Amino acid sequence: MFFIRICFMAIRGLLANLLRSLLATLGVIIGVSAVVSAMSILEGANRDILRRFESMGADQIMVMNGSSQRQSRQAVIPSLTEDDATALESCSLVTAVAPEVQASTQIKYFSRNMGVTVLGTTEAYAKINNYKTREGQFLTPEEVRAERKVCVLGHKVAEELFGETTAVGRRVKINAMPFTVVGVMEKKGVLGFRDVDNQVVVPITTAMKRMFGMRNVMMITVQAKNRDVLEAAIQQVKRTLRGEHGIRAGSDDDFLVFTQEQFKAQLADVTKIFTVVLGSIAGISLVVGGIGIMNIMLVSVTERTREIGVRIAVGATGLTILVQFLIEACIISVLGGALGILLGLLFADFLENYTGVLKTFTPASSIYLALIMATVVGILSGIYPAYRASRLDPVEALRYE
Amino acid sequence: MIRVHQLSRHYRMGSSIVRALDGVDLAIRGGEFVSITGASGSGKSTLMHLLGCLDRPTSGLYEFNGRLVHKLSDRQLAAIRNRTIGFVFQTFNLINRTSALDNVTVPLIYGRKGNTRAAAMEALRRVGLAERARHKPSELSGGERQRVAIARAIVNNPQIIFADEPTGNLDSRTGRQILEIFHTLHAAGVTIILVTHEMDVAVQAQRLIRMKDGKILEDRVVDDALRGEMEAADERFRLPQGAGVGSTPARSG
Repeated sequence: MFFIRICFMAIRGLLANLLRSLLATLGVIIGVSAVVSAMSILEGANRDILRRFESMGADQIMVMNGSSQRQSRQAVIPSLTEDDATALESCSLVTAVAPEVQASTQIKYFSRNMGVTVLGTTEAYAKINNYKTREGQFLTPEEVRAERKVCVLGHKVAEELFGETTAVGRRVKINAMPFTVVGVMEKKGVLGFRDVDNQVVVPITTAMKRMFGMRNVMMITVQAKNRDVLEAAIQQVKRTLRGEHGIRAGSDDDFLVFTQEQFKAQLADVTKIFTVVLGSIAGISLVVGGIGIMNIMLVSVTERTREIGVRIAVGATGLTILVQFLIEACIISVLGGALGILLGLLFADFLENYTGVLKTFTPASSIYLALIMATVVGILSGIYPAYRASRLDPVEALRYE
Repeated sequence: MIRVHQLSRHYRMGSSIVRALDGVDLAIRGGEFVSITGASGSGKSTLMHLLGCLDRPTSGLYEFNGRLVHKLSDRQLAAIRNRTIGFVFQTFNLINRTSALDNVTVPLIYGRKGNTRAAAMEALRRVGLAERARHKPSELSGGERQRVAIARAIVNNPQIIFADEPTGNLDSRTGRQILEIFHTLHAAGVTIILVTHEMDVAVQAQRLIRMKDGKILEDRVVDDALRGEMEAADERFRLPQGAGVGSTPARSG
């Protein structure tokens, strides 16, 4: 009861100087809102990336161009070819292999045209990703082998170009080259890092030789027999590719192999770095906020010297004065924390709804953390002013002008 | 109730020592109305602070209600100030941002009492200010503020009230009203110790203690003879009717 009354007394003291109290807590408001919105962005991005990884399937092995020993400034020398993909198909622990190339270009159907991603791959792509057609059929081995000018449209591309009418059998122009639509894919959204609904799939042979004049593939997706043999399959893939590329024992691979788990581990590392950076910024801003509160509290103690004298005269002990001022500092700080959280949430919401690119997610832990930190800042910045108030000599305080 | 023996309070001011109070012996019984008077710097306020348990003596003994004050902790002194002592100051010392009622409530909160509102209202009623309870000090006159301060002093039903120049900032009519309240409290059994440098206020008490240079110069009963002396002195300084302070004397030449 006594404690609650002291709290009320402190709140009344703060309300009497509302503007000053708000200015005192401005540092904490900004600090906490920055932390909450940054944490929301970080966590949102993290979840978005994880979701994309998980859409790829845990039994997949991604083989990419590049060397693990490569210096960051060196350019990637592409090493993967269609032959590598063919070689990987003969591995015993591998069920499917899909080499991929991609490029951005325009697709046109009479007067309608749109920007799309063209993916050159083989019939295995649909199988590995469990990606089905809504209309017509996916690429056939025959179409890939013969470098046919056929294409399979993503859900959104078909809708944009043909609306409700059927797309299969129509002729479109991709990169100013005529193609026949053989299928339309189901609505899928995101697969890996691609928005597959906005994608046009063509035979890899057609894409590499007839459209873009490429000699290397960008990536090979390999599906292992099952998750249990994933490690063994990776070793088999590496051995096969080293053999294909003629790499001697002791030399480094000229390709990179990833699995979903490895991507996740790397993501966790990156997240950790960002968390540390954000945490440091948050720490600094809260220290600044704390100094602001301490400053105002010191002014308040000086300004209320006589009041403190009266309070001691009517029976307050040094400890009650200390507690009262400490509570005032904490209320300022926690109030700032609460306003900061609100502001941070609003900002995160604004970013998600108005930029359309960023995904945000505010974990409950970041809110608790912000409140705890605001309280700690309040206590730390209030200790010295409160101690000074509690040590005032009542006779001197009553005489203070 | 109060017994002091060779009570001294010295302050260090640079290299010299100021003897604000210098070996005072004094006894005050419960229910007395005592005024302490003297010129500025005579040590009357220092004595009041020591007797009011706001300060500790440099040397000497102070016994309050049979307890030796120098042996009490800060916490025990705070409890004594809260339960048995009430203070009234010259400059009222109210907390300006809160209402009269909230000001009167403060000692009850530190005394951890329940039902503070009712008790505070009762104290305000006793000083005739119940209807102004919601007003802030800035909305009250000087006399009303001092009455709020008295209500704050009596809210815990103290045995003793220390008043330091309580009429110093008030006009004489309001001052008389305030003194009237002290007389009423005294009649109810409260010990009153009034510190003042105004003799016409000092003679309102039953007993007068005159101080000079930190020592007691005179400690006497206030009788009709002393009151008559004061009135005569007052009469001598009173201006003739019609010769107002603001009137301009006629110039010659």
